[in-house]
Parts: sequence; C-alpha cells; structure tokens
Amino acid sequence: MVASRQLWIAFFGLAVLLTLPLWVSAYVLGVLTIAYYFGVFAMSWDLLFGFANEVNFGPTFLIGSGAYAAGLLNAHGVPLWLCLIAGAAAALLGGVVLAVPALRLTGPYFGLSTLVAVLLLQQFIIVFAGSTGGEIGLTMNDILSTEAITNYWYALAFMTVSGAILFALSRSPVGLILQASGQDRFGASALGFNVVKHKLAAFCISAVFSGLAGAMLVFYLGTASVGTVVDVSVGVQVIIAAVLGGRRTIVGAGIGAIFLILAGEALRPLGQLSTFVVSGVALLVILFSVDGLMGLLQRRRDES
Amino acid sequence: MLAVQILIDGFAISALYGLGAVGFTLMFGVSGVLNLAHGATMVVAAVAAWVVAGQLAASPWMAAVAGTAAGVITAFATYFLVVRPIQRSKSVPAAEKEIFVLTGTLLWGIMIQETVAYFYTDNPKSVQPLIAGVMQIGGVRTPINELLIAVICWAVIGLLWLLVHRSKAGKVLLAASINPRALTLLGFELSRVYLSVWAIYGVLAGIAGVLLATFLGASSAQASQLTASAFSIVVLGGLGSVAGSLLAAYVVGYLETLTAYLISPTYRSMPALVLLVIVLYVRPRGLLGRR
Amino acid sequence: MRAPGTAAAPLLEVQGLTKRFGGLVAAKNITFQVRPGEILGLIGPNGSGKSTVMQLIMGLHRPNAGSVHIAGVDVAGWPPHRIARQGVGIVFQHSRPLHRQTVLENIMLGLLPDNLLKVITNRHVHDKARQIAERVGLGGVLNRKPSSLAFADLRRMELAKAIARDPLVVLVDEPFAGLTSGEVAAFSRLIAEFRRDGRAVLLVDHNVKSIAALADRIFAMYLGERIAEGTAEEVTGDPTVRRVYLGGGIDVASRPARTARSTPLLEIQDVSVLYGKAQALDRVAIHVDEGEFVSIVGLNGAGKTTLFNAISGLVPYSGRISWNGSDLRGRSPAAIARGGIVQCPETRELFGDMSVRENLDLAGQHLAAAQAAQQLKWLFDLFPRLRDRERQIARTLSGGEQQMLAIARSLMMRPKLLILDEPTLGLAPLILEQISNALEQLRSNTPITVLLGEQNVTFALPHADRIYVLEHARIVWEGAPSRFAAEAAATYL
Repeated sequence: MVASRQLWIAFFGLAVLLTLPLWVSAYVLGVLTIAYYFGVFAMSWDLLFGFANEVNFGPTFLIGSGAYAAGLLNAHGVPLWLCLIAGAAAALLGGVVLAVPALRLTGPYFGLSTLVAVLLLQQFIIVFAGSTGGEIGLTMNDILSTEAITNYWYALAFMTVSGAILFALSRSPVGLILQASGQDRFGASALGFNVVKHKLAAFCISAVFSGLAGAMLVFYLGTASVGTVVDVSVGVQVIIAAVLGGRRTIVGAGIGAIFLILAGEALRPLGQLSTFVVSGVALLVILFSVDGLMGLLQRRRDES
Repeated sequence: MLAVQILIDGFAISALYGLGAVGFTLMFGVSGVLNLAHGATMVVAAVAAWVVAGQLAASPWMAAVAGTAAGVITAFATYFLVVRPIQRSKSVPAAEKEIFVLTGTLLWGIMIQETVAYFYTDNPKSVQPLIAGVMQIGGVRTPINELLIAVICWAVIGLLWLLVHRSKAGKVLLAASINPRALTLLGFELSRVYLSVWAIYGVLAGIAGVLLATFLGASSAQASQLTASAFSIVVLGGLGSVAGSLLAAYVVGYLETLTAYLISPTYRSMPALVLLVIVLYVRPRGLLGRR
Repeated sequence: MRAPGTAAAPLLEVQGLTKRFGGLVAAKNITFQVRPGEILGLIGPNGSGKSTVMQLIMGLHRPNAGSVHIAGVDVAGWPPHRIARQGVGIVFQHSRPLHRQTVLENIMLGLLPDNLLKVITNRHVHDKARQIAERVGLGGVLNRKPSSLAFADLRRMELAKAIARDPLVVLVDEPFAGLTSGEVAAFSRLIAEFRRDGRAVLLVDHNVKSIAALADRIFAMYLGERIAEGTAEEVTGDPTVRRVYLGGGIDVASRPARTARSTPLLEIQDVSVLYGKAQALDRVAIHVDEGEFVSIVGLNGAGKTTLFNAISGLVPYSGRISWNGSDLRGRSPAAIARGGIVQCPETRELFGDMSVRENLDLAGQHLAAAQAAQQLKWLFDLFPRLRDRERQIARTLSGGEQQMLAIARSLMMRPKLLILDEPTLGLAPLILEQISNALEQLRSNTPITVLLGEQNVTFALPHADRIYVLEHARIVWEGAPSRFAAEAAATYL
C-alpha cells in the first residue's frame, strides 16, 4: 500500500535528519531549520488543497496572522509559550474569517479572495507601522534558543509531530470524509455528510498549524517581517513546495519544502536568477510531472 | 483647486487602470484564463519602450510601438509556453485545469519579472512623455501627457467596443464568451478565436504598460502589484464584464486618488481592498457580473 | 430489519409536490406513496419532471408546495445530508466513485458518522463494509481502485454505498442503463432483495419496459404532471401514455420513390463509443442517401445524441464515418460543420445573450453577404415568428421559439446534411405542428438531407423515408415507416 511506502520513506528520512548535527555545519543546520518550518507550511496547505479541494492562494494570510500576533504580544512582554498559543488562535480566527466567504464562492473567486486577504494583511501591517514595524519588521523580545543545534531539534520535532498529526488525519475516517467533500460535494451530502462543516474544519486545522509554524519561525529568526511571513511570493513558494512534492500526500509537501529551500540556498550564488530557476523548475513540474516527486516515486513503484 | 486636481488625476489613473483591467477581463470572459502574468506583461512593455527610447535613441512614439509589440510577444509566449500546454495536458484532471493554469501563469509571471530585473535591475523605468508640456485646466497645471493618457485609453477602449460589437470578428469573440461549443457547431475554429484574444490582450496590456512608463514609471518589482490591482478591479466589476471593469476601475482609481491626496499616499491601496472584501462577502459576482 | 409490507404505513410519501423554476412548472401536484417492501417505478421522458421529483425528495431543491415524508417525518426543505441521515439512500444515474480510494474505502464512507472527531477507524466499520461489498458481489475487488473496475462493478459499488446505512427508502436512477442482459438479471435480484429487506424502493427510468418486471406499481409523468398510475400492464395500455410515447394514430405520408445513388452521402460503419466504461454506442451501422429524410427513433439514453456527436466529431469513436466517400476521422468539429454537416443539438446551444438576428448572422458569416441576406429572408418566411422577434434576446424567447431559432440558425449555414436532435423535447403541440410544417417545407422544396433523432414517434414518422430504432446503444430495427407500426411499435414502449 502506498501508505507504508510513504511511511518508510518518512522514517528513513527522519533517521538521517536526526543524525545530521553530527556531521554538518551550523550554517546548513540553519537552512534546514527554516526548511522544516516551511515544511509545516506546505503540509498544512496540502491538507486544505488535497483533501478539501480548496486552493488557498494566500497561505501567508494564515502564517502571517500567527506570526504577527505572536510577535506583537511578545513585544508587550507576554511569555513565549503563551505567544505561540495566541499565534495559533489568531490564525484560527483568520481561517474562519477566510472560510466563511470561501464556502459560498466557487472557482476562481475563492482563490482570488485568499490572495486579497494577504494583500489586506500586508497593507494593514505597513499602514500601522508604528506598532508593527512596517516594512522593516518587528524585533522579538524572546527567541527560541541561541544555539543552532537546539533550534534545529525544535524545528525537526515540530515538523515531525505536525507531519504525523496531519498525515494521520489524512488517513483517518475524518480524512476520508474530507476527501469525499472535496472530490464530490453533492455525493458526500447524499451520503449524509455536512460538507460545509467538514470544509470549515479543514480550514481551521490548516490555519492552526500554519499559524503555529509561523509563530515558531519568527521566534527562531528573532524578527517578524512582511518579507518573510506575509509576502505573496512566500505564499507562492509554499504552493510550489506542495505541488513539487506531490499534491495530496502530506509527506510529499514536507519533502518538497525541504528540497525547495535547499535548492534556493544552493542557487544563492546566482543571485537574482535563483528565483527564476526555482520558478522555472516548478513550472516544468506543473507542465510535465503533475504529481510531483511523490508521483515519480509512485510511478517507479508501479512499473516495477 | 484640490478638487479639480483630484478630478483630473483620478480620471487619468482610472483610465489607465481601466485599460489594464479590460484586457484582463476580456481574456477571462472569452477563454476562461486568469492571466496572473498580467503585471509582468505590462512591465515588459514598459521596459521595452524604455530600452528602445534610451538605447536606440528613438522617439517616444517609436518606443511606444516597440513596447506594445513586446506586450504582444509576451502574451503569445504566455499562451504557447504555459497556458495551452496545460489546457491540452492529458495528465491534469479536467477539474483542476483552471487552478493549474492560474499557478502556471503566476510562476511564469515571476520568471518574467526576475528576468527583467536581472537584465535591467528593478529600478523604475520611465519613458519621456509622448507630448511634453503642461496645460491649465480649471486653474490647475496639468501635464499634457496625463490628459493624453486618458484620451488614448478611452480611444483604445472605444475601438475595442467597436470591434466587439460592430465587426463580424468581434461578434465571434462575444459569442465565444457566451457559448464556445455553439461556435464550434457553427463552423468556427476555437483555436483561432483564442489566438486573436491573446493578440488583442497583448496589445491592450502593451499599451497600458507603455503609458504607465510615461506617467509614473514602471519597475519589475511592481509586477505583482499591477496584477493584483487588475484582478481586484475585475472581480469588483464582475469577472467577464468589460463595462463592470471600467466602472470598477473608476471607483478604485478615484478611491485611491482621494485617499492619497486627502489622507496619505501610504494608505492609497486600502479603501479599494476593503471595498473588494465587502463585495466578495456580499455580492461575489461583482457590480455588473452575471455569472 | 422491518417486516415486509403488509398494511404498513408508507415509508416514502409525496403529497402535492410542486416545483417551479422561473416560469417553468417542472413538477405539478405530484402525490404518491411507497410502502415498506414495495417497488414503485417513476417513469417519464426527458422534461417530464421525474428528475425534479427525485431531486426534491433528495433535498437538492426546496418545493414550492407540497410535502415529502420519510417514515412520517416531513423532510421538505431539509439539506441533503440530513435527509440522507433520516433514511434515504440514493443510487445516482452516473457512478461517482472516489477515484483515489479503494472499493472498501468507498463503501466505508457510507458507514461513517457525520462526526468531526472520528479520528480512529472502527474495526466494526471495516467488517460491515466488507459484508456489504460481498452482498453486492464486490468481495473479490475490495482493494482495487475504481479506475480498474468494470462498469457493472462500479454500479454495484453505488448500490453498496446507498444501502450502507440501512436506509428506509432507496432511490435508484436508471437502474439498468449500460448493463448487459446478464448483468441486468443480477441487478434485478439485488434490487428485489431490497424489497425483501422491507425497504421502500423508488426506481426512476425513461420507460416502463426496463423496470416492468421489477416494479409493483408504475407512476407515469409527462410535462410535470401525473398521467397514469397502476400496474405495468395498466400503464402500458393507458391511452394517454401511449399517445405521449407513440403518438396518436401513426400517420405515414406516402413518399415519392427515390432513385438511390451508389454511394450514400453519409455512411456509418461499425461505430462504437465508450464513455469511461459505459458503452454508449455498440457497433452501429447506418447510412443516409442524398436527399433522404432518415429518423433515428429511440428513448433517452439509447445513444442518439452520442451518434450525432460522433458524426460531428465531438466525441472519440472507433469505426468509420464517411461523408461523400471520404473518412471524417481527423477533421475538427468546426471543419466538419463547414463541410456541410450541421447539427442542431438537443440543448440547442443558442447564444442566449444575443438577439435572434445576431444568432442568425453569426451562422451566416461563412456565406457571401448577398447569399446570407437571401438565406435570412427565406428563413424568416419559413419561421415568421422569428421575424417578429428579430431584435429579441434569445434567452427571453419561449421554448418553441428557441427551438425554431436553433433550427433556423443551423439552416443558415446551408447544410447538405442537417442533424436534428430531439427538436420536439418539452414543446407544446401547437409549436410541434409549426415545426413539423417547416420540416415538411424543407422536405418538399429543398434538396436538403435530414437525420432526425426523436423519441416522439408521432413526430418522426410522417416525414421519414426510413427509420432506424436505436435501443441501448444498438440498432435493433430498420425499415420503412409503413412497416414500423406493424413490426416495431409494440415493443418500443
């Protein structure tokens, strides 16, 4: 079954990642730390897209809400762990706010409304620069840790736990209902499922994980800025990561994110062109290998 | 005299927004494609005009023609390299085609943006006004160029209207936006219709980009903002409705101008965004949308 | 399990059910009951309102008047998922599996509660799903994905999903469409078991024939109203029903003899079409000679539209379709239309937001201006009502006027072969006569060749030189109209 194959890949990968600090530099660990948080972004997006069939073009609305809520509270002296919870809660609220019109809109309108939400959030932050730090960013009072290795463990643990939960959800009865709601809305109703309730739930789950990851990311970085957690381009990268890894697999999204961040770093010497190359690769994936990396693996398994 | 200033500036900027939005909505109405590389296409046209004017020392009018041509080339590139392959792809499920095209054009737009930035940096490029000088209108000194922009935009929109409503080819385009299947049954090749839509789109986006360069300047960093403005306007006006886009362009244009003059330029995009959110909650099909 | 129906209260009771869509009354004052252990057949042609009634029971629409009671509870206006939980299971006309899940998972879905907290799979649910799968005959394919299943197995899976939660009422839309006779027997047995379970079963179909053996009673509808109710024999013999399906007396106008050319104008050989797994056309062979008026007679779902779409190049097919001797394969649909084969589809496909004149002008764009003007004048003479409404927006026209416009628009292209798909669907008799007259004029005054697809035999026969009967994707009869009454009419209904 595909599930076992995915799980084995995940276990093997995890084992490798656990041992990395032993033989890799602090710089690489830093890149991977960011990649792991990105992984959670992508996996949350994949839950919403893969299962509820809703394309969120502005995942950074949820990520940014969580990040800035945590950051602003921290700036007022709220302890770190409480800020994280608040961040998740703020993102949850954002998810509900986004879901309400979304569930009445179809086709391109929903995608557009998610994009608009991001633009609004961005404007808000810039306009109220006095409190939020505007384009420059907000400096956090606390950070997770000063040690690269500790930060690495935190990020890896977070990604693993989040991934496990999201994956388990996708394979659970609730996940099955979500898939049905996404694939065939009326068929699911005819089988007795309140589709609206389930899609709303999918939004909320996606929001909580995105927001929490966003909050953790800014506590790692030490600053919250529009360019790292709100900008549309960040959102696009999240989508690329999930599509690259393979839609609807959860695990694929995580792998895609790690691949993308590493590739971005590796291409840094190219300067301006790095974004170009990454976007180009993503475009090629969309054109030629619609099911992404996991799809390639699946195909090789089917052929053998 | 502030009122007159606002009136004139608002009119000009709205006309420019309108031209960009009309192309965007025409593309959606006829071929169902939301081209998220729209802003990038405008930027290419603007930069091409700048290159031709600056490096080839051509007149602003030559530069304008070159810029428009660049817009058309970019539009065709978008169609043949990104949109058409996805639409014809056998591995993308039919229900997801729209989303893939959307994502594909988004990525393509980023690629174009980065290419322009790589070769020409992301500093704003501007082109000399097509007609230099100022005029007095209602006691306000207004650059003639600004008025010219409004005139050109409306002339182009007027020509487009004539094309669509009075010419045989235009009727075919209109029909394609209503019922493409019926058009096939009447012996019209849809592939040719789509080609002509992309060509018209390229011209509209190209002209808009060139005019933008003469007015405010354009930089590759603005590409996403331009796309965002265009589709906000189009959604506000109603996807697929040209009249709606024009109306919405003026609403947004004046809202922005009023905000910039009366409150602060930093806040100029806010009211339009808020309006858009309200519309999406209350009347998702927009002011004049029918679907 | 409940004890099968004695004088038990009805499980499904529909009373005075009425639904309007704008100006159209889709269902008018429909009343019937289905008791436990009873199978009711709801029949009617397209546009009869039977689908609307089904949708009202399911909760897809809110009725304008009337009630729907499931085991005594009024569910009219409830959302579909609540009605489903109240005890209604539905088997849709087209299978709708979840493609990324296995058969077992698809069936399990039907057993899950509508609960957000169900995070752990219940062993019990697994076993029950397995049981149900075995009951419908899917025991051997539990771990396969739907894409690898045969058509009949997909239908079995739909049955399984519908009965998973032990519903009181089962609605089945077109139970036997696309099945071979062996499969039909197996499905009949399964549905008969529902009767033994004590459920109330509502079978919805186009004609009595396919469900006669299974249904205890039949309820026949036409144009939104009940036209007959009773046993299968009673309904088949009912004069109104016969008129609706066969028409009154079958008039046949004598045709002048035609000299057949050696090559048919249109020749269809061994053509088959598959929609996914469903066989929509099965080795169909027909030919149409120049100047002939050929009618393809068949009920909804028989395959007429599929055949026409294959000719027009709109669906892929196997076999050979030749036009004037040359193969049509590979030509684009637009090219085929320009080449002289013009289809006026069942759905009419008008440009709703454009005027009558604009619709016609578009069709005439391929002609020279003078020719187009002449053609337009001729068409306005043929359909004077269109001339009166030249500037009117197409979608505001009445059904009959829209049909006239659709036909006129097709004729504007000066076709050599005009394909007319169900032109009389849902139209009032007066309009039918006008269209019939127009066709007669075409027939007598122009060299046009016509291929007419109809389920309304009364309309089809008078104009036809030859008839083909299409049933379940196959041509089952061919001959002159005069012989139709004697040979084919009896088995048609």
